[in-house]
Amino acid sequence: MAQTSTATAEEREHILEDAAEVDSDGFGPSAATSEVVLDVNNLQTHFATRWGTVKAVDGVTYSVRRGETLGVVGESGSGKSVTALSIMRLVPSPPGHIVGGEVVLNGRNLLELSEREMTQVRGGEVSMILQDPMTALNPVFTVENQVGEAIRIHQRLRGKDLWDSIVDALRKVRIPAPETRAKDYPHQLSGGMRQRVVGAIGISTSPDVIIADEPTTSLDVTIQAAYLRLLRQIQREAGVGIIFITHDFGIVAKMCDRVAVMYAGRIVESADVRTIFNSPLHEYTKALINSVPKLEEKTGRLPQIEGQPPLLYNLPEGDAFAPRSPLEYEEEDANVRPELVEVAPGHQVQLSRASVADFDKYKHLVSYG
Amino acid sequence: MATETATPVVIEDAPGASNPSDTILQVRRLRKWFDVGGRFLGIGQRSWLKAIDDVSFDVRERRTFGLVGESGCGKTTTLKVILGLEEPTEGHIFWQGEDVATMTRAGRREFRRSVQAVFQDPWSSLNPRMRVQAIVGEPLEIATTMSRQQIRDRVGDLLVEVGLNPYQMNLYPHEFSGGQRQRIGIARALALNPKLICLDEPVSALDVSIRAQIMNLLVDLQNEHGLAYLLVAHNLATVRYMCHEMAVMYLGVVQEMGDTEAIFNNPLHLYTNALISAALPSHPDITRDEIILPGEVVSPIDPPPGDVFMTRTPIEVDQSHQYANERPPLIEMEPNHWVVETPWSLATDEALQASIYDEEAEIRASEEERRRLASMN
Repeated sequence: MAQTSTATAEEREHILEDAAEVDSDGFGPSAATSEVVLDVNNLQTHFATRWGTVKAVDGVTYSVRRGETLGVVGESGSGKSVTALSIMRLVPSPPGHIVGGEVVLNGRNLLELSEREMTQVRGGEVSMILQDPMTALNPVFTVENQVGEAIRIHQRLRGKDLWDSIVDALRKVRIPAPETRAKDYPHQLSGGMRQRVVGAIGISTSPDVIIADEPTTSLDVTIQAAYLRLLRQIQREAGVGIIFITHDFGIVAKMCDRVAVMYAGRIVESADVRTIFNSPLHEYTKALINSVPKLEEKTGRLPQIEGQPPLLYNLPEGDAFAPRSPLEYEEEDANVRPELVEVAPGHQVQLSRASVADFDKYKHLVSYG
Repeated sequence: MATETATPVVIEDAPGASNPSDTILQVRRLRKWFDVGGRFLGIGQRSWLKAIDDVSFDVRERRTFGLVGESGCGKTTTLKVILGLEEPTEGHIFWQGEDVATMTRAGRREFRRSVQAVFQDPWSSLNPRMRVQAIVGEPLEIATTMSRQQIRDRVGDLLVEVGLNPYQMNLYPHEFSGGQRQRIGIARALALNPKLICLDEPVSALDVSIRAQIMNLLVDLQNEHGLAYLLVAHNLATVRYMCHEMAVMYLGVVQEMGDTEAIFNNPLHLYTNALISAALPSHPDITRDEIILPGEVVSPIDPPPGDVFMTRTPIEVDQSHQYANERPPLIEMEPNHWVVETPWSLATDEALQASIYDEEAEIRASEEERRRLASMN
């Protein structure tokens, strides 16, 4: 099972204080704090299909702190989006079932809430921001209407109070003249402004956590940069924790404080962003970082990850990455189900002899070492 | 359009395209304008969407030429015109020194065989009802006299070449992953031994872990078969990795063109600088000043007669300047590095300073706006 050996609370506190002083992205000092707002613990979501049970999320553990951006990285089918849907309890059922684990938000386990209570959480304490501003807004309603909808439902505000919080939300995303803009329809706004309105909807209810699930559609670099800037602004204004789901390590380098790398429904490595880039331990993390061409210099032949992502309904019991690992290993090493262990404060790796070159250095941490 | 005889053609030099000896495709003063109406009962002005407006470049043997720009800049339309999917409004395309428009039937057939394409989305570019054998073998069936067995053998060889198994020719596209499907698309493009392959965003729809595989495969095939590529991409890192030469387009017009390394090491145009500054870093320690151009991409319908870029520059444009009223040409600033030079388009210190993103300034601006509104009420 995914299990983390623990540093003491004091140690953690200390690490975080140190980390907070480092500028962990290109946007100036990070807004990260040490207060955990969302704690996902050993979450398991399975889908029943005619080929068998698909373990889309197979014991995922991560946490998000207030003001922090957690990057969840993985290729399609790694379970990163299903994890997000499970947090929101939006996994279509059937065929999907959350079969285990807990999702603790502000001390409450979301998996135990009634559907009615959950409606208050969705779009209230946890909200999602969609990336494509052109399709996320309804063309026949004004900005006021669309930004106000969530506030009306979640905070039950009416009249002047409602208007004030709409204008406030628009101001937070730096829309000039929010009082006038609120009366506009989406087609009257430029693309950049529409993007901001989508952002305003996301923060209108003062959520604790925002999930930004990047769709695979390829956006222009300039639009993408504007979107990332907006998310940063929102984070600084509202102090929310952001879960950024992506498959692009460039976005991680630019946006995230911490990173969790997922493969085949499990987390294979997680650490702060600098550790991930400077001293990754898992071969999959290394390969993902190295296989991206660099803008900054002309690179020689790219190292590539051999093979294809695994089929989830036919996963090996042991290390799912072993078949694609460049390391040499014995058959039995790949059959051991690897554990996620903390090898350094804040740095967790799924230790397997087949996928971690430095396995011997850390083998005392696991029973199968 | 001028009628020219097929032999021997004199192909004029154009700025940035000076007929190197190993060139196989020459594009000269290419225009593609779409009539988007604007008239009623034949009365009034015609409106033109100028998707490409006076584009010239050379593609050289065994080399990759990249077209970069934001969506709507005309890079894909350029590809379509070259592939013959759109008729050019004006201008010429020369294939191995021969004007494509005036080619004989046989010459045209040869041209079509020699120029193939790989598309962006491997989910929609393969017919779901056809087996891989039929997909990859279709060009062979149409353009050659090969027997069924010969086609079968050739398809098997092609699949091996792109890293698939010959037995997979009996499968359907849905049985493959995205990267494998893109390999099938590449095998189809290779079937007729082309000399030039047009690549329209060949990796942007793929998972990051698969992109390196496909890019490496394309580079290997280029070296093995002496292929030329014309690559359309918006990811600048991909362009730097794959391309020998490149052109940066904005609103249908080439703004900067030349040797890829020359451009990346010393980007001259402000727009090129803005694109590079917006690209994602490869390490968290790499920070770039973000250059944000004022305004938004203007509509390509009836663009201004002068420099198309002048609405996006932070430098004040003198409306009586020559290039505010007519198209500026590309100027060679260093060997094989061409750029549109106007008082406002180059990345001078002044222009860069004026467009670097400053969050504090933005906060101040919105505060002022608020105060202004408050005083109005």
